[in-house]
Amino acid sequence: MTDTQGVGRVVRVIGPVVDVEFPRNAIPAIFNALHVDIEYGDQKKTVTLEVAQHLGDNQVRGICMAPTDGMVRGSEVRDTGAQIKVPVGDGIKGKVFNVLGECLNLEEGQELEADDYWEIHRHAPAFAQLEPKTEMLETGIKAIDLLAPYVKGGKIGLFGGAGVGKTVLIQEMIIRVAQNFGGSSVFAGVGERTREGNDLIAEMAEAGVLPKTSLVYGQMDEPPGVRLRVALSALTMAEYFRDVKNQEVLLFIDNIFRFTQAGSETSALLGRMPSAVGYQPTLADEMGELQERITSLRGKAITSMQAVYVPADDYTDPAPFTAFTHLDATTNLERKISDKGIYPAIDPLASNSRILEPEVVGAEHYAVASTVKQILQKYNELQDIIAILGMDELSEEDKLVVGRARRIERFLSQNTFAAKQFTGVEGSFVPVKETVEAFKKIAEGEYDHFPEQAFFMCGGLDDLHKNEEELRKKG
Amino acid sequence: MSAQLRTLRKRLKSTQSIKKITKAQELVATSRIAKAQDRVAASLPYARAMTGVMTSLASNASINHPLLQPRPQVRRAGVLVVTADKGMCGAYNANVIRTAEQLVSRLAEEGKRPVLYVAGRKGVDYYRFRSRAIAHSWTGFSQLPKVSDAQEITRTLLAAFMSGADDVGDDAGADGILGVDELHIVHTKFVSLLTQTPEPRQLAPLEVEEVEESELEEHVLLPDYEFEPNPEALLDALLPKYLTTRIYAALIDAAASELASKRRAMKAASDNADELIKTLRRSANAARQAAITQEISEIVGGASALSAAGRE
Repeated sequence: MTDTQGVGRVVRVIGPVVDVEFPRNAIPAIFNALHVDIEYGDQKKTVTLEVAQHLGDNQVRGICMAPTDGMVRGSEVRDTGAQIKVPVGDGIKGKVFNVLGECLNLEEGQELEADDYWEIHRHAPAFAQLEPKTEMLETGIKAIDLLAPYVKGGKIGLFGGAGVGKTVLIQEMIIRVAQNFGGSSVFAGVGERTREGNDLIAEMAEAGVLPKTSLVYGQMDEPPGVRLRVALSALTMAEYFRDVKNQEVLLFIDNIFRFTQAGSETSALLGRMPSAVGYQPTLADEMGELQERITSLRGKAITSMQAVYVPADDYTDPAPFTAFTHLDATTNLERKISDKGIYPAIDPLASNSRILEPEVVGAEHYAVASTVKQILQKYNELQDIIAILGMDELSEEDKLVVGRARRIERFLSQNTFAAKQFTGVEGSFVPVKETVEAFKKIAEGEYDHFPEQAFFMCGGLDDLHKNEEELRKKG
Repeated sequence: MSAQLRTLRKRLKSTQSIKKITKAQELVATSRIAKAQDRVAASLPYARAMTGVMTSLASNASINHPLLQPRPQVRRAGVLVVTADKGMCGAYNANVIRTAEQLVSRLAEEGKRPVLYVAGRKGVDYYRFRSRAIAHSWTGFSQLPKVSDAQEITRTLLAAFMSGADDVGDDAGADGILGVDELHIVHTKFVSLLTQTPEPRQLAPLEVEEVEESELEEHVLLPDYEFEPNPEALLDALLPKYLTTRIYAALIDAAASELASKRRAMKAASDNADELIKTLRRSANAARQAAITQEISEIVGGASALSAAGRE
């Protein structure tokens, strides 16, 4: 990139926010990338700023994409005349990038073959281009397929508090979906653990999906500017696959909450008044800008799975709530369920999907899902009574419901591929048809005589029968 | 946050009303136990005298009454299950029914077909829900059984037993009524306020319980009765009465057990409710306080942001 545009000087540095003064006739546009050379001890580096605000008096306010240590007032700032650009094309598959599109895993002497460099701020597709068709995406996880079926080309959210298994479930999805997937995948690591990001690369290489996948990382050790933009960088790469290559794309984002959090960290420094719970007043707008770009166009779909951290397990918090409204299917992970040792800890009553309708999934699937939810709901209502009066006080009908609910609750757990390293048990893929049939039978009471333990951590009905037999042998 | 506070408050309220009910039930049961125990005590002298007479009659070796004779082939066995009419008494009903089920399956193993007679609504509900046939049921007196209730039960059971005498296989025999060849009762024995054990016993063919040695001494020696008109006629009249006595004793014993069990269960329930109320109140308070803190910090933060903006 040539620095033919204006040259300014640093006026003020407050953490990740830098004010720069430019000559009157050379003020950079909003979102333009600016470069600053920093000399800090014996280190020399060029950091990138992104223009966020025009302050007046020829000053602009930028967000820095690297730590600002060593930056001093008066440093020279060069306007690149364009936004941050990331490489796109088939050459980026199997590569790992940072927010600026710099490849991190090039081997010595190797050069990145990019088709093009795209700016990361783009417009969402127009209404008329959107894909009207809905089709179910089979995951082979019973709880998801039955109660919150995923939409092909849709946006899927995995909600959960700290440490209930969001990242594991995202990895599980990568193994399940990406492995049998023809198109390209893009993974955005936003503000999550660096170690997990590293593990993921190794796991992807092992599973053989790495050559089809591009990864973009801006993890928790990076400044807020990076975490605010890394999702956009990944999304831009995905958009190129969709729009130019006409491919089906899978986009994984872990974790979208960090995007909001980064926005909140910079918002006050940019001089905006905090809104509810201290979040930025532009919360809904920022989320909308991002989410509206993740859409499927006619014949070319982006299916996205996003982990959403729920602070303090409070779903009414503005950050998860804003993400909620954009999604087609939501899978809520619940601490109470993970405490029982049921994994994946999916909350069957809170998880939902737009396509859980008889027209899309079929009348039987819909009926079974509703019955299962009813039984679990009833069990939920009876919990206080059981806690106070004990099981013996329930009527015969209620006792039956509780027994079935407990069996269903356990049958919603499943052995997963990603958890093999913890459990030593191979994962299982249960086809939707079998899932529906199994839950129908349990809800109708066909397995009332099976011990509850038999329903735990297994796949389909075959596994259930096998468990029951083993338990019977043990006496 | 406020939604959470609202649901917590709602649960708190409902738990408090549940506690009111369980507390009241506990108090009612406590006051009724004493009366039930008195009734058990009051019935004892009559039962003892009755047993004394029966013992002396039975020791008269020559008697031969159908109620006393084991039948050569037992095809059908009647089981009277004494349960409560109402719940809220812990595992009381579940225990009786479990014992009854054990007895029933034991009888079935011995090749006897069980016929169910049930006293108390909970037992009726249990068998009806599983669509098992009940030959006869009585409800409405589990906490306060009267002698007339025991008489009514005796009449039905005795009729079934007597008409079973001439049955051949599944054929009803001469009287055209399919009777039973054995009678059992399952009720809860009141051991103490803390212990009540369900217990199966055989009613017919009758084994007359001998008066215990210690009691014998009180009566010194059994007088050598002269029977008028004759022992058989006397037995015919007395045996049903003796059966009634035993059934009545079982009923009042069960009533006392039910109340004791209820008192204990309701006490435990009230304690559980207290515990739940405590945790709910704590989380509700924490949620309320968090909401207040948040509002304050938002106002303060907003104000300082505004003043900072004004300075620039």
